[in-house]
Amino acid sequence: MTLQRRLSRYLRAFGATTVLAASILSFTGAAYAQVMGGEIVVSQNSNPPSLDAMATSSGASRNINMNVYETLFGFDENVQAIPILAEGVEISDDGLTYTIPLRQGVLFHNGKEMTARDVKASLERYRKVGATSNLLEPVENIEITGDYEITLTMKQPTPTFIEAFSSPRAPAAIIPEEDADAEAGKTSMVGTGPYKIVEYVPDSHVTLEKFDDYSQDTRHSGPDGFGGKKTAYLDKATFRIIAEPGAAVAALEANEVQIVDQIPVPAARRLESNEDIELYENLEWAFSVFILNMAAPPTDNVKFREAVQVALNMEEIMGIATEGLFNLNPGWAYPDSPYDVGDVGTEGYYNQGDVDRAQALLAEAGYDGEEFVILTDSNIPEHGRAAVVIAEQLKAAGINAVINQVDWPTALNIRMQDTGWNGWTLQMGIEPYLGPVAITSTLTGERPHFVEHDEELEALYQELVTGATAEARKETFAKIQERLYEFFGIIKLGDAGLMQAARSSVKGFKTFRFPRVHDVWLEE
Amino acid sequence: MTLFIIRRLLSALPVLFVVSLMTFLIMWLVPGDVSAEIGGSDATPEQIERIQAQLGLDRPIHERAISWYANLLRGDLGFSYLLNRSVVDAVLERLPVTLALASMALVMATMIGVLLGVSAAVRHNTWLDQASMVAALIGLSIPDFWFGIVLIILFGVTLGWLPTGGYVPITEDVLGWARSMALPALTLAFTQMGIIARMARSSMLDVLNQDYIRTARAKGMRGRTVVFKHALRNAMVPIITTIGVTTGILLSGAVVIETVFSLPGVGRLIIGSIQRRDFPVIQGGLLVTATVFVFVNIVVDVLYGVFDPRVRDER
Repeated sequence: MTLQRRLSRYLRAFGATTVLAASILSFTGAAYAQVMGGEIVVSQNSNPPSLDAMATSSGASRNINMNVYETLFGFDENVQAIPILAEGVEISDDGLTYTIPLRQGVLFHNGKEMTARDVKASLERYRKVGATSNLLEPVENIEITGDYEITLTMKQPTPTFIEAFSSPRAPAAIIPEEDADAEAGKTSMVGTGPYKIVEYVPDSHVTLEKFDDYSQDTRHSGPDGFGGKKTAYLDKATFRIIAEPGAAVAALEANEVQIVDQIPVPAARRLESNEDIELYENLEWAFSVFILNMAAPPTDNVKFREAVQVALNMEEIMGIATEGLFNLNPGWAYPDSPYDVGDVGTEGYYNQGDVDRAQALLAEAGYDGEEFVILTDSNIPEHGRAAVVIAEQLKAAGINAVINQVDWPTALNIRMQDTGWNGWTLQMGIEPYLGPVAITSTLTGERPHFVEHDEELEALYQELVTGATAEARKETFAKIQERLYEFFGIIKLGDAGLMQAARSSVKGFKTFRFPRVHDVWLEE
Repeated sequence: MTLFIIRRLLSALPVLFVVSLMTFLIMWLVPGDVSAEIGGSDATPEQIERIQAQLGLDRPIHERAISWYANLLRGDLGFSYLLNRSVVDAVLERLPVTLALASMALVMATMIGVLLGVSAAVRHNTWLDQASMVAALIGLSIPDFWFGIVLIILFGVTLGWLPTGGYVPITEDVLGWARSMALPALTLAFTQMGIIARMARSSMLDVLNQDYIRTARAKGMRGRTVVFKHALRNAMVPIITTIGVTTGILLSGAVVIETVFSLPGVGRLIIGSIQRRDFPVIQGGLLVTATVFVFVNIVVDVLYGVFDPRVRDER
């Protein structure tokens, strides 16, 4: 062991002790309030397609899996990458070598200690079955360089690697080496998180039990985003699948369910006066967007697309689509998030509802009443409601708008075709949370959402992913936002919220990208 | 009788073949496949093609159909694309829920329906007749999902007597199972009860006007014996037919009720699979449901013979 490393280990140990002491001191007051034990039931509306965290990017799976599995790096509360199972990372000057020391003494649910072998095996598996395996695309080689250390060699410097690799979309969960060869969905469901899976009955429930030997990350004083110091207060947490929203609300009122992951806004308004129920609004849940097909007429004409942009009144669309839970935001990042560049480039284009200007632009585009087909689906209610309002507003501006409402798989099938649709309503859930790279990647590459490539945007995307510093990337992102308001391939409608509810007896619950059952306790 | 049953069972085979073939064709005509569910809204055409190739979805329809039927002959219904289990396992683990729900509902609907219908017929043109038929009409007209939610609010939330949803396996807790099934079965029974009651009433009215009933009454037989032994037994054939049809409706109605009450049954499995285009599960699930339906029809045919000796003799 080199002197430097020994020193760094002492420092880490010292750091951990001081943090621990500080947290004990600062939390002694609050600590009395937290109660160990008890059980809660969380309801969500869809079945998790898989409990193999890395193999699925489904939100229903993520809700459960993020309480069970952990990753090397993840996002903190402010969407900044922090080490979770890693101690940190040392990046070589040429940006090609990432040395990642691991936390020691971390136990898997099967009692085995996590070592570099498990981590390498997990990452190798992620390459094969990971739903977003392209995250490891920049990595040439994964090497074990110590019992508790792995080293990644990159193909080329990728400054955004750790940020992208922290993505919880289909998390690169660390699982035991023994599961490394398991096909997608066939692992033993063992992770390192504060809760372990004890039962899974599809379409019914998933039961989690507190993992008694959970290794807390003592570098933090409390939970922080996907990482931090997590504490499992509850003995058991059951995720029940209740597809019918009305039934979920009834179960909450009857105290059979203590947390509802998503409740309809009108039901929430009714529950506002109920003292036994707390409502939680998450106003940064998704971007509502309207995507235009740049390959099919009339939307292949930029003047026509501009007409659509100025014809829309976002306040009306968002109000109806989200049943009132929204923020108007022309920007392509959440307000006050690391990449928020304000309303740069959006002046005079967002939330205009300007029929006269739209008609002038339509005349300029030479529009002669061709059909404008809005593709939408019935599975996600916000999509359909947005489509109805958009169609009415466009008709008022003189556009021959028709709605084609199909089910979700059909919509995804149709949008893969170059013709047959002109507009497509979509809620972008996880991408805006992950930041500019995730959003822009859906608008570039092999098949951008709006079908045709925009060469300038492609170049800006390359500039974004290779931007050496966060400041440089933010500057590029401002240019991307400006560019999106120049060719109108995609129209930002607004930020859609998520309404959650819990019994008042549930304490410590905070709305987040998934319902955290750790650091939640029941009032006595 | 044995020969009759064997003959009916054999004649079911072409029916099941047609059902599975129709399912194949419909799913082939419906746009989209499971690659959308796996790949999500950001998938590139390349990713979609890779998923399709992995699952054999890029093969022509006739090839897929032939290999599916070949596997079926070996008793293999295939493997779900998404559930990480064989179709047989996926269906079998949910079948008890649906069967229990449908049979409980059937028992409730039959008992209440026949009782309402018979009493309405016996007290023809009285307030009891009117009240029974109004109740039956309400049952028939109310959408079951709405009625289910109303029952949940009343018995689950306001009174707190029964759970608002969820399923307790009978092997874990018999009382818990009965409690978890009570509201869904009642909801499902309520709509079907109306149909059975109306059929029982009209069928009984026909019989009660027959000469032999008047004869039975004239020779001083007890009213109850006349109604239940002489009249009802003769009125049973159309009622049994209705119950047979009702069973089919109950099996399909279970889809909605399973969703409202969060029961992990076959209906929800099939609906979920249709929404996600999990072809093997749709194919297998519908085949099993069709088999149950065909089997119920055979039972109905056999029951005709039990209630009507003429049918038995013809066989």
